[in-house]
Amino acid sequence: MATTSERVPVSERRDEPRRSGVGRYRASRGLLYVVLIVLGIVAALPFVWMFLSSFKSAAEIRQVPPTFWPQEGTLDNYRTILNDPELPLWLFYKNSAFIAIMNTIATLFTGSILGYVFAKFEFRGRQALFWFILGTMMIPSQVTMLPGYLILMQLRLLNNPWGLIIPSFISAFAVFVMRQFIVSIPNDEIYSARVDGASEWRIYRSIVLPQLGAPLATLGMLTFMFNWNAYLWPLIVLTQPNKRTLPIILYWYSTQHSSQVNLVMAASVLIVIPVLIVFALSQKWIVRGLTLTGGK
Amino acid sequence: MSQAIEIRRRRRWFGGREGAQKRFVAGVTLPAIAFMLVFSLLPIVWAFALAFFDFSPRRAGTPFLGLGGNNPFVGLEHFRQMLDTSTGQSVQVSQFHTALKVTLAFAFLVVPLNLAITLPLAAMIESVHERVKPVFRTVFFLPVLASSVGVAIIWVFVLHPQNGLLNGIIRAFTGKTTQIGWITDARLVFLGIPVALIAVIVAYLWQDIGYNLVIFIAALQAIPQSVKDAARVDGASAWQTFRHITLPLLMPTILLTSILTMISAFQVFDLFQVMTDGGPQDQTRALSLDIYQEAFRFQKMGWAAAVSVVLFALVFVISLAQTRLLRSRWEY
Repeated sequence: MATTSERVPVSERRDEPRRSGVGRYRASRGLLYVVLIVLGIVAALPFVWMFLSSFKSAAEIRQVPPTFWPQEGTLDNYRTILNDPELPLWLFYKNSAFIAIMNTIATLFTGSILGYVFAKFEFRGRQALFWFILGTMMIPSQVTMLPGYLILMQLRLLNNPWGLIIPSFISAFAVFVMRQFIVSIPNDEIYSARVDGASEWRIYRSIVLPQLGAPLATLGMLTFMFNWNAYLWPLIVLTQPNKRTLPIILYWYSTQHSSQVNLVMAASVLIVIPVLIVFALSQKWIVRGLTLTGGK
Repeated sequence: MSQAIEIRRRRRWFGGREGAQKRFVAGVTLPAIAFMLVFSLLPIVWAFALAFFDFSPRRAGTPFLGLGGNNPFVGLEHFRQMLDTSTGQSVQVSQFHTALKVTLAFAFLVVPLNLAITLPLAAMIESVHERVKPVFRTVFFLPVLASSVGVAIIWVFVLHPQNGLLNGIIRAFTGKTTQIGWITDARLVFLGIPVALIAVIVAYLWQDIGYNLVIFIAALQAIPQSVKDAARVDGASAWQTFRHITLPLLMPTILLTSILTMISAFQVFDLFQVMTDGGPQDQTRALSLDIYQEAFRFQKMGWAAAVSVVLFALVFVISLAQTRLLRSRWEY
């Protein structure tokens, strides 16, 4: 815990060349790495266990005591899943991707254009509207979930991917983040474009938007990830099996094959891992977005 | 004269520009306002209204939001029932009481445990070599990116009584045959807390610590090294530097993350449904699961809405209290 400050300042080291001090420093460094590596292994273990188990045979997975490494690795589980007519994985990948991509596009568009209006225009009720949008972030989703369901029922949007896209067209978080970034764009650029006769829409598109590359990428990744992993709301809106998204299908598959965990693990690998790799590669953007909420 | 025309023309020109700006603002905000009315304000008002009706979507009420008629107004009846602690209470009331206890226990265990893990872990990762820092950060952060349903399914298998990893590890260390049903055996209780609930807490911590971890790492990086060095030169020990320099500077971040962690802990649904579905014997029936089941399994939406109002009130009051408490500590 105190290890941050264990780093001995250079000046101090030069003044007192005490062997013991440096030795103790090295020892605590070593301990630090040992602790971190052990914790890291514990943290990685569930994923590793899932991955290894997906290559075990039905007999091996039921073995007591369980094996850790697959004794005879097999790809049968993957073959079974990819050939299962009840589990057209590509269809569910498509459903999930469609909803996540449309939500991302909508959120980025409404977030940037509303953020621009809140940052650079004076109009009556600006503060009130901005705070109302922010205030909606405070409401737990379980509160708005029931009327949200009833509204979609009235609009005949249940069992329709648009039922998951339209109600989340505006993200309060996106509006807030975009406004913060757009405030720092110099007003002069906007004025001079206006003097040059550019339309307001044109200014948004060619002056404001091009300067938002980094925040748009961050927000886009976050929105996509959030929608890709969403479970409760899609569970309520999409009740027809062929409309469902990957998380719902994964749970459904696990209840159907609860006695064949090897199949469930292979399905989990196929459903969780590909996107997890993409998310891990774009980690930098996601972390930047998350620290934005946690920061000041 | 030509000057006057020029001025008038310019005025009209500016007027036109302002008009264009106004049209742009209206063109953006008016649809946004209409959208917010339908998909934000209406659901909030409707949720509070539902709480006062005995509403089921299966029954047709009056044309006005289906409220009234076969879905009669019951006033504060739902809230009165929630306060009923007699033995003759209905199932939904006793399940609500259970759910309230489960959610409170979950949230009040998760927040301190989360901070107790993430804060030291962030300090440790922050002090390792630049080159390996991303490796450690990724390992702990990866579960944040994973689908929570996937996470729940992995944990169900890790905790499996016969073929699970945990019982396998225990057997490897003790040599004894163990078949502990971590999330299925209602008799298992540790310090008054059902083991199944502890299992969900562990899975949730595993999934969630990466989030606070990156926030604390960012906050630690924002503290200038010179401040810490100055304290060390003045003779402060490593612990004193952490206690009197780093910790106070981190206080605003700790406050914010503890509130955010608490708010999300109150709303956890995925892990509860997939890992245990509330079982064994309602030991892990969290409020969010209670609301979902009452509303969509039993179609008692009025009652479910009343429970969701309680959840909202809880989240609101606790985040207010937490702000007060932590702020008074840090502004001496």
